[in-house]
Amino acid sequence: MDWETELKQAVSEGDEIRADEITAKALEEGVEPKDLLEKGAVAGIYEAGRLWREGEYFLPDIILATEAYKEVLQRIEPLLKSGDVSYKGRVVMGSVEGDAHDIGKNIVVALLRSASYEVIDLGVDVPLQDFVDKARELEADVLGMGAYMTTTMRGMEEVIRLLAEAGLRDKVKVILGGAAVTRGYAEQAGADGYGDNAAEAVELVDRLLGVG
Amino acid sequence: MMSMQMLKLQMKVMMKLNKAMLYSYGLHIGRLDGFERLIAGIYGTPDRVPVIAQPYTYAMGMHGLSAKTFFSEPRPFVHASWNMAGYFGIDFWSPVFDFYNIELDALGQKLIWRDRSEPDVDTSDPLIKSEEDFKRLRPPVPGRDGRMPYVLESYQRYMELMGVPPMAYTCSPFTMAVLTRGYVNFIRDMRRNPAFAHRLMEFLSMEVVVPWIDKIVEATNASIVTMSDAWASQPNVTTEMVREFCLPYIEKIIRATNSPLRTVLDTASWGERSVKDPREVLDIKMAMMVPGNDFKALRPFFLLVWNDDYEEIGIPSMRSYAEENKVCLLLNLRPDLIEEGPSEAIVENVRKLIREGAGKGRFVLLINLVPIGTPVEHVHAAVAAAKQFGVYPIDLDLDRQAFRMPEFTPFEEWMKKEGLPV
Repeated sequence: MDWETELKQAVSEGDEIRADEITAKALEEGVEPKDLLEKGAVAGIYEAGRLWREGEYFLPDIILATEAYKEVLQRIEPLLKSGDVSYKGRVVMGSVEGDAHDIGKNIVVALLRSASYEVIDLGVDVPLQDFVDKARELEADVLGMGAYMTTTMRGMEEVIRLLAEAGLRDKVKVILGGAAVTRGYAEQAGADGYGDNAAEAVELVDRLLGVG
Repeated sequence: MMSMQMLKLQMKVMMKLNKAMLYSYGLHIGRLDGFERLIAGIYGTPDRVPVIAQPYTYAMGMHGLSAKTFFSEPRPFVHASWNMAGYFGIDFWSPVFDFYNIELDALGQKLIWRDRSEPDVDTSDPLIKSEEDFKRLRPPVPGRDGRMPYVLESYQRYMELMGVPPMAYTCSPFTMAVLTRGYVNFIRDMRRNPAFAHRLMEFLSMEVVVPWIDKIVEATNASIVTMSDAWASQPNVTTEMVREFCLPYIEKIIRATNSPLRTVLDTASWGERSVKDPREVLDIKMAMMVPGNDFKALRPFFLLVWNDDYEEIGIPSMRSYAEENKVCLLLNLRPDLIEEGPSEAIVENVRKLIREGAGKGRFVLLINLVPIGTPVEHVHAAVAAAKQFGVYPIDLDLDRQAFRMPEFTPFEEWMKKEGLPV
């Protein structure tokens, strides 16, 4: 098999060790990092997403695929040149303060990256003001927040309030998700969008930004 | 050897169990108290639907306690929980601490502590990062390490106050494996290194959970011990993973710890809505309770289904599954509804749960989580609605009943008259 097929397969099957080995070997052989990203890693995560949507893959499969994708990205990201990749938009994302859960968020991050979004992952337990500061500093198009617990979920509406206070509310679309969050809560909190599961994230962001 | 105090407690519990079971079969000897109502509701038809609650962080918030105090000091923890349950007229409650963390804490897993919510496992720093870490790991000394003394002392205080043993809680080995390894790592273990995953499960089951259950039972004589297993849920893991890596160990633990007077079971997982056939998950839930429990006819089994699942799939199909399997159906009241209200919506939700779920018995309503800051009238409305609509036989015209919201005393006033100091 050629590196393209092999890397795509390794990522979609969630084999991060093999994916990293193929990437390293291909780089040695002179393959362009941009091609490795687009034709290998992104194609692999896209394939995993497709299998998930079609009910062939379960959550553990998609989790392992995103881990393999991250492994490849870690190796090739420093080698990418500016202009190598064009993004549909910039998304800042994190789990709100007090919340250490990140499974759903990590999947959304990987799926958005696979759909050509530049995603800045702020991690877990993100102080509420940091969401606002990062959205401003990075000129985010979309701010995504996740919450797993009802106790931490309330922080989301506070961030939306802080965004308005900072004069950023019209400049950034806010999307919410996570086990504790419901569509009703997202509407009540004043968010622009809500995803019931990670698979909906790409479609939601495409729609909010008017791209496809 | 059982102490005289424990023997008296056991006798009292036996009498209550007999009374409740006879009641559930139609022989009514006097009125039921909350504990008896729960037992009658698990086995058959009580006087009305039992309402049980987990006071948890709401009790903490009502008393202005810090999480550190509530989750590490037995007296304020039990007293605040007792006050919460007493204030709202809950039928039965048990001390609910952060039961996923106790064994982990004792093993040395790092937790994150916050002021106003339960401690949480630091998922960025799992205890077992490699097989080498696992080799070095030693089981905790049950009752001595971490916050295990807090749990045992809390149970002791509970028994002094309530006169019955608690329903005891432990963490299930499967969830413990996910939390000590990290979710992604344990998924990888199950897929790529199943032998290691099984060794880990064996260790957590037989060297951590079983000794801890034994210690709890020695201290409390608890007749129901529940292992909580949130991570054995779909879609987080597949049903195949649960069948291979979870169920065999649950059965081993049950066989090692149950007795004619004790039921040990695994519960709290979810995910019926996440699989093609919800019965697949329900079958797993049955397999988390029944195998290894002898004297099945006498066992208080309950099928717990969470709101996200029963709302999507429908209560009637859950009800018929529970009836087919002769187990009590336990439904929770959705936490965000209790929090947001209004009271009218809560009342209507309770009416629906009872109309579709209560049947002729074997039904219990659970208030599993009341978020901090929830107005007390929301909880009063939920409990009052259950008490009004839940009277057996359930009114066939339940929808036509006007709800009567009882007057209630503000919590501060109630505390002055009836509350325990925290």
